[in-house]
Amino acid sequence: MKIAWNTILWTFLIVVAFLTLFPVVITFLGSFKTNAELTAGATFLPADWQFSNYLEAWKQANFSTYTLNSLFVATASTLGTLLVASMAAYVVNRMDFIGKKIYVSLQAFTMFVAIGAVVLRPQFDLMIKLHLHESLWGVILILISAHASAFFILLSFMNGIPRELDEAARIDGCSPGRTFWRIIIPLLTPGLGVCALFAFRGAWNEYLLPFVFTLSKPELQTLTVGLANLKYGVAAASQTHFMMAGACLSILPILIAYIFANKSFMQMTAGSLKG
Amino acid sequence: MNKAKNVAFSYSFLLPSFILTMVLGIYPMIWALRYMFYDYKGFGAERFVGLANFERVMRDQQFWESVANTFIYAGGKLLLSIPLALILAVILNWNIKGKNLLRAIFFMPTIISTAVMAVVFFTIFNSYNGILNQFLMKYLFIQNAVDWLGVDYAMLTVILVAVWGAVGNYMLLFLAGLQNIPQDVYESSALDGANKLQQFRYITIPMLGPVMQMIIMLAIINALKGYESIMVMTDGGPIGKTNVMFLYVYKLFFPPAGGAAATQIQEFGYGSAVAFITAVIVGIITILYFYGSRRMSQND
Repeated sequence: MKIAWNTILWTFLIVVAFLTLFPVVITFLGSFKTNAELTAGATFLPADWQFSNYLEAWKQANFSTYTLNSLFVATASTLGTLLVASMAAYVVNRMDFIGKKIYVSLQAFTMFVAIGAVVLRPQFDLMIKLHLHESLWGVILILISAHASAFFILLSFMNGIPRELDEAARIDGCSPGRTFWRIIIPLLTPGLGVCALFAFRGAWNEYLLPFVFTLSKPELQTLTVGLANLKYGVAAASQTHFMMAGACLSILPILIAYIFANKSFMQMTAGSLKG
Repeated sequence: MNKAKNVAFSYSFLLPSFILTMVLGIYPMIWALRYMFYDYKGFGAERFVGLANFERVMRDQQFWESVANTFIYAGGKLLLSIPLALILAVILNWNIKGKNLLRAIFFMPTIISTAVMAVVFFTIFNSYNGILNQFLMKYLFIQNAVDWLGVDYAMLTVILVAVWGAVGNYMLLFLAGLQNIPQDVYESSALDGANKLQQFRYITIPMLGPVMQMIIMLAIINALKGYESIMVMTDGGPIGKTNVMFLYVYKLFFPPAGGAAATQIQEFGYGSAVAFITAVIVGIITILYFYGSRRMSQND
């Protein structure tokens, strides 16, 4: 009975694990196959490892540009999100001022109300007026503007930093601004790390926003956009190997980060339930 | 020390966040709330039309088909992902070998871009020379390629892809809830001779109630809102079979540039009205669910 139960249990777990891993593994292996093998070979392992796929995708299929754009968008928006959200979390947690409650409810409101693609239109028009649609700064600003969840996470981390520390600093004549940079930010590092992970992942994986903003500007496209465009292109059938290599370029950095910090990734998701 | 100075400092630190939220978060919503009463196609004059856009929504058969598709999609996704996530969470909450590795594996899909995986799944499910059909024909000796993205199976395929991406997330949320159930309840029930199934039915389910109510609500909202992977995989096709309501809204604002669908024009005014209706639909379902599931949050 016990053996039967264990067999069922482990068969189930292994099947689910296999189904979970299969698409990612097949992408990785597929990125080393020729296009012919991918579209008709029915092989699992590549017959002949085509490392040149990456070189060609990097050069011919513009993946060098896409990768750099993705890196730029993800890095800039992560730094911006951390800065904007930590400044707000600091004053909301430590200072008294009129309108604090309104500000906090405003942030909560933006987190829960979503009306879909409509917002992209006014956002796009706004960026044209500000002349930010010719670069990726428009995308970056919009990504930073969605910093409500980072704000709430940092707010809860702020609670863990003893108030005596900034009071002592104030008695010593330290201004609030200096206290923020010299005392709060170093102590907020764990929270900032978790937020950075999530902001980076969100920006790196973002598709619709950069897609809409770079419709007519291929030189600004990110990995997700460039990759999805391959699928729509006229030559799609002959570029499956590029799709696989491109998908790997997008998946691998975040997957490597996940392997090293999967606890932080999971802690964050689990934490959102309580917060 | 100097209260006015502190207040001024606070506002200055809050300013970047406040401006960004107002300009890029709140203003677009107000924009949509205004234009839903206008006829505006993105160029030329905008014309106030009162409630005409809403009358048009009521008569818009394509939209209501997309609503029906949304319900099928969301329903299918929930029915598959929630039970699977709960079962995995319960198992991985036991002290079994390799539970940390398994948790990490099951959660992995949630860290990868939906759009990127949609491209990958497209090459897997592609009817003509997709990877899955290659394997099926070679190893299971299936004669004709299955048209996974065709009229009959496209909805099932996009649901399966959505389930792949969602299970890990809900598993982890369930696990967080399970860890709040005191372990000694299980121990004492085991002493009384309860088996694992009985424990699941009479301890886990009732004690998980409030958390489960929240997780399912989150899952419902996510399922109703999701369209990114559908957009990349099928673009709502074939013949609108996988066209969900948020994708329908998207296309009113960003009509496809090429192909036969190019006859479609931008509909900012009408699109805003449709978006408002979709938000109302999501709101109504959320409220209905909340009332319907009240019993779950009462621990008894």
